[in-house]
Amino acid sequence: MYGRGVGGLLSWLWLCGLVVQPASGAEPISFARDIRPILEARCLKCHGASMQAGRLDLRSRASALKGGERGPVIKPGDPGQSALFRRVAGLEKPAMPIDGPLARPQVELIRRWIEAGAPWEGEIQSSMPQPPANQIKVPELPSAARSFWAFRTPVRPQIPTVSDPRWSAHPIDAFLKKEWDARGLIPAPAADRVTLVRRAYLDLLGLPPAPEQIDQFLRDPSPEAWPKLIDKLLASPHYGERWGRHWLDVARYADSSGYEHDYDRPNAWRYRDYVIRSFNRDTPFDRFLLEQIAGDELEDESTETLIATGFLRNYAKVGFREKDNPQFRFDYLDDMIATLGRGVMGLTLHCARCHDHKFDPIFQYDYYRLQASLFSYVEVDHPLVPRAEAEAYSAKLEEIARRIQPLQARIREIESPYREALLQEKYKKFPPHIQEAINTPEHRRTPGQVLLANQIIRTTSVSSAEFDRVLKPAELAEKKRLQEAIRALEQQKPPPIPSAMGITDGDYRFAPDGPGDEPAPGKGVKQEAIEGSFLHRGPGRYQPPPAYFLHHGDMQSRGPEMRPGFPLVLTRGNPAVELPPAHGRTSGRRLALAKWLVSPDHPLTTRVIVNRIWHHHFGRGIVGTLDNFGHTGDRPTHPELLDWLALEFQQSGWSMKRLHKLIMTSAAYQMSSAFAPESNLAKDAANLYLWRFRPQRLEAEVIRDSILAVSGALNPALEGPPIFPKLAGDVLKSMRNGIWQTQPEGPQTWRRSIYVYRKRGLPFPFFEVFDLPDQSLTCSRRNVSTVATQALTLLNNEFVVEQSRRFAERVRRLSADPSEQLVLAYRLAVGRVPDATERALGLRFLESNSLEDFTHVLFNLSEFVYLR
Amino acid sequence: MPFVSRRKFLFEAGGGLSGLALAALLDQQGLLAGPTPCSAPGASSPFSPRKPHFEPRAKAVISLFMSGGVSQVDTFDYKPALIKYAGQPLEGKGEIVVRQGHPGPLMPSPFRFQRYGQSGLEVSELFPHLASHIDELAIIKSVVGRSNDHVMAHYELATGTVRMGAPSLGSWVTYGLGSESRNLPAFVVIFDARGGPFGGPANWTAGYMPALYQGTVFRAAGDPILDLRPPSGVSAEQQKARLELLAQLNALDEARNPANSELAARIASYELAYRMQACAPEAADISQESEATRKLYGLDDPVTEPFGRQCLMARRLVERGVRFVQLYHGGLGNQNTDTWDAHGDVRSNHAQHAAETDLPIAGLLKDLKARGLIDTTLVIWQSEFGRMPISQRGLGRDHNPGTMTIWMTGAKIKGGQAIGASDEFGYKAEVQPVSVHDLHATILHLLGMDHTRLTYAYQGRQMRLTDVYGEPIPQITA
Repeated sequence: MYGRGVGGLLSWLWLCGLVVQPASGAEPISFARDIRPILEARCLKCHGASMQAGRLDLRSRASALKGGERGPVIKPGDPGQSALFRRVAGLEKPAMPIDGPLARPQVELIRRWIEAGAPWEGEIQSSMPQPPANQIKVPELPSAARSFWAFRTPVRPQIPTVSDPRWSAHPIDAFLKKEWDARGLIPAPAADRVTLVRRAYLDLLGLPPAPEQIDQFLRDPSPEAWPKLIDKLLASPHYGERWGRHWLDVARYADSSGYEHDYDRPNAWRYRDYVIRSFNRDTPFDRFLLEQIAGDELEDESTETLIATGFLRNYAKVGFREKDNPQFRFDYLDDMIATLGRGVMGLTLHCARCHDHKFDPIFQYDYYRLQASLFSYVEVDHPLVPRAEAEAYSAKLEEIARRIQPLQARIREIESPYREALLQEKYKKFPPHIQEAINTPEHRRTPGQVLLANQIIRTTSVSSAEFDRVLKPAELAEKKRLQEAIRALEQQKPPPIPSAMGITDGDYRFAPDGPGDEPAPGKGVKQEAIEGSFLHRGPGRYQPPPAYFLHHGDMQSRGPEMRPGFPLVLTRGNPAVELPPAHGRTSGRRLALAKWLVSPDHPLTTRVIVNRIWHHHFGRGIVGTLDNFGHTGDRPTHPELLDWLALEFQQSGWSMKRLHKLIMTSAAYQMSSAFAPESNLAKDAANLYLWRFRPQRLEAEVIRDSILAVSGALNPALEGPPIFPKLAGDVLKSMRNGIWQTQPEGPQTWRRSIYVYRKRGLPFPFFEVFDLPDQSLTCSRRNVSTVATQALTLLNNEFVVEQSRRFAERVRRLSADPSEQLVLAYRLAVGRVPDATERALGLRFLESNSLEDFTHVLFNLSEFVYLR
Repeated sequence: MPFVSRRKFLFEAGGGLSGLALAALLDQQGLLAGPTPCSAPGASSPFSPRKPHFEPRAKAVISLFMSGGVSQVDTFDYKPALIKYAGQPLEGKGEIVVRQGHPGPLMPSPFRFQRYGQSGLEVSELFPHLASHIDELAIIKSVVGRSNDHVMAHYELATGTVRMGAPSLGSWVTYGLGSESRNLPAFVVIFDARGGPFGGPANWTAGYMPALYQGTVFRAAGDPILDLRPPSGVSAEQQKARLELLAQLNALDEARNPANSELAARIASYELAYRMQACAPEAADISQESEATRKLYGLDDPVTEPFGRQCLMARRLVERGVRFVQLYHGGLGNQNTDTWDAHGDVRSNHAQHAAETDLPIAGLLKDLKARGLIDTTLVIWQSEFGRMPISQRGLGRDHNPGTMTIWMTGAKIKGGQAIGASDEFGYKAEVQPVSVHDLHATILHLLGMDHTRLTYAYQGRQMRLTDVYGEPIPQITA
């Protein structure tokens, strides 16, 4: 949602139907009696002395007629074309006043007043009692606000008593059974064991099981085989690659910055690997959040927790002249709030940037307190070496720079006598009127000539090579010697130390320039009369720069300075909003925020994460809208089960792996997906109450990984810098900026899809076609669509065809007999053996077609791209 | 989806999968038979056409996007004041925000203007061919954008917001109306042979909508769609044999998994893919066009040939039921010469790009008219922002979202009219400023849709292309 700031553009409408006639016999309008009180009471708060939202000032006739940044708002005599009238009449959005409409008679007065030519008397002085804009009312939470289900603290429910032994052993089953009984739904029978083992592998690892792995499970008929399989898969390092990917969607992870320049982020992958490792070591989820939000503020800070701070840094970034465009920083803060809101709390908090939330009890005040909790952030690349080593590294760089400086100064000294003549030569290439402007002495230039001359003079420079052409031989020789010395010094630079893209606290007003970041001359953030530094350098404690309430989300319309804090409706008691760490380099605001999020009485954090996990296992959350638990989101289908899971999760140490096992050992998880009695379909066609297992189309990454696993080509190497599989020639043509360092196809690109370079400006086509979400915003639930281009990809894409060849070779190596080959290929691709009809069709096909043809067909089976 | 149940019926009636029943079925779907006529409208497509809100004026849209930023004061927005005040500072307009360098003085257009047609509207010498169509064009001289950044401005025109990742206009239209073609995608993008536009694929993304609605890139040369045909080493016979086996196996699977409608949709997607293999190259194959037509689009001249090819493909696609064709002129490469981004020298830059597009666009309009398509096709000519009336480094012009000129024609829009106006220098929109939301509302209106009613549920809100803004432009919709 972009609609921040001062509303939309005026959309002028020729008022065909709305002909404005003076009401006959009405009393003439008096400005003082009729209009002024309305302006004072309803308009001047934002368009008066203390602030002029949208640069509109309604204190005098002149300023009112002048209008705001969107143009004039009053056309005397013509209310239909006066934005002031159109806004208060609700004919144009956003309707004004922003805090609620005028009474109808007041609207009519405004109309008649403008029609009468908008007469005015005097100026409305600021001595009029105006609520100062730098004070805002602390909102009061409506008493019923916390009674909405999502804002109540979860309470442990009674596990329903169930007599049926199939559903009584596991609490999850008991909760589900209660709803089936209440609705007359018949639960599905158990899935066969081959389906189950494939389900478990795809779900936990994102890879299909090999035939030996299937057999290993089938050989053990004991009831312990299933929990043992789950334990084995949870211990696999591929588990982190699969479940880490789900979290990376939430974290809007990408390897490039997006927008025009789409800069490479050479260290972004370290955060991706941190997420994989965190899932693999089963970092408790509360700790996982602490590290990602405040890894630089923890007592036990480590390189791992510093890498974790990449979570908040993953936003897409414009990256061009950001110092000229300070509003971008507010967009990044908004993105963080949206990510924490939707991703962690399941709320659309970012809707409260410009106004109080329209549907949930979230105030603009809440938004700006939360923004204050994050406001002190600055972007840093955390060195991943001990502090002393990092300091030695910077000291060395500074020393080399210091030694280079005099050499460069000497080069400039050699060149400078020639500069003017070379510049004059360049000026001569311009048309005569421009040359004239340049050649006119500064004090005699006309105002236009000043601009013209400035434009050229300030943007014309002489390159080193151009100097070389005119330097005397001795001078040139000296310059070359100096350049050689500079190069030698540069070679003494130590190799860059590994670093991670993250954040810490500092003062953004002193941030060093990033790529393309240097402000245009004479522009940029006006440095207020402040002293400070980018990062805190002792002694004393770090002080965060002030954060303000912004009326209508408009950077120019500052309200009071805001203290950090949390949304009222979610807050119990009086949690700390700052927990300054002992090292004194940061404010501890983010640490306090993270601690509040994982506090035991937070009503949403645990509900939201267990619901996410549930969604990825079952294809739908207990709350269908994973990132919106508010009034406009879905209601939980099983509210008690959700609360039971949330509390169970919290009490078992926020362990993801235990939660997976808890869910997967339920009988419900082991139900068949091929079950469709008419009576169930009539009552619950969407399967909201989970009377069968929901078949799920595999995600883009899992489809590609499955192809590689089945062909036998998968390189299972873990972690590391991103890979760049080959793109069809023309696809690269649509890349304007940033990188794609294509690697030859082979083991180094046949790695799992999580390692493919995530380029915001150029989504990997194979993934894009299978519903890759937008890589710039936090995403919870991927779309599933079925389109012809998916069929074209699986039929014709070179990668798929190549892997089906390898698949055929793999099968051929194992057997030369067509009917054995058929069975093997089926088992590799979909886990099961073919039935009689499939066998017959397949054998007939192989009589006149190759095994490659056959294996390619298997990659195209619906069954291959579904988890069932 | 009637044909799916027909398949089931045949499958079950055949008591197993008799080759005969299957052959009959495939034949019915055109899988085994010779190519179906690619222009046949489809009733059974998964993108079946949907009813608009009211009687539409246009069935299809061709958008001609001039990437890089076309200067209004050098094309359609004639400003004599620039001659009168040439070389003087632009004053009284507040702080002048430039994107690059330093503000210069007012700079008159290096191009001559002349009145054309009965309407007597002015066109610069850049567009001699287009000028002869002036009485067919509705020229909007007061479009206001929100960003002076190429990419953000592209996104605004494409999606209504300057942020990355919102669904594009073409996606909204496809979502709202479905497709008239059972053989081709509904929303096709053809970009400049020099490369994609600023901002890349996010200009035709489906955003938070399913991928079903995203634009499909057609390449102007070679196979029009990525992965359209099997790679070398796989023959057409092999492909056909594979598809037949696949259809049989997927049908068996569908029967085993009742009440999973996605499986039927998946089978249908393979059928569409198969038809696309035949029909997309057919649609892109301009060799079938007569010599006269090729000339009309400038295919006989290397300067006009590339964009002429794009325009001709656009007509062929619309003829075959494609709903929304997005053409880009100006692409990757050297920004100063390969796009309309005339920072350095507006004279040489605009002369080059106008020469590349003028004749092909005029040819497209003539051809649409001759084939009776113009009354049901909306053609829009647009850019991401206008340019400054003041100079950059003496010869160029910097970005200016304060006003730009775009035009629309076709769809029975009243031609020969100028809508809105910029100020005396062409610096800011002054009369009837038109927002991008207004443009989008207008386009949806012409397609029979009320922009306030075309909504998609996302994040607990009924999202709109026009957010909470936008009004159709009355002179266009009248």
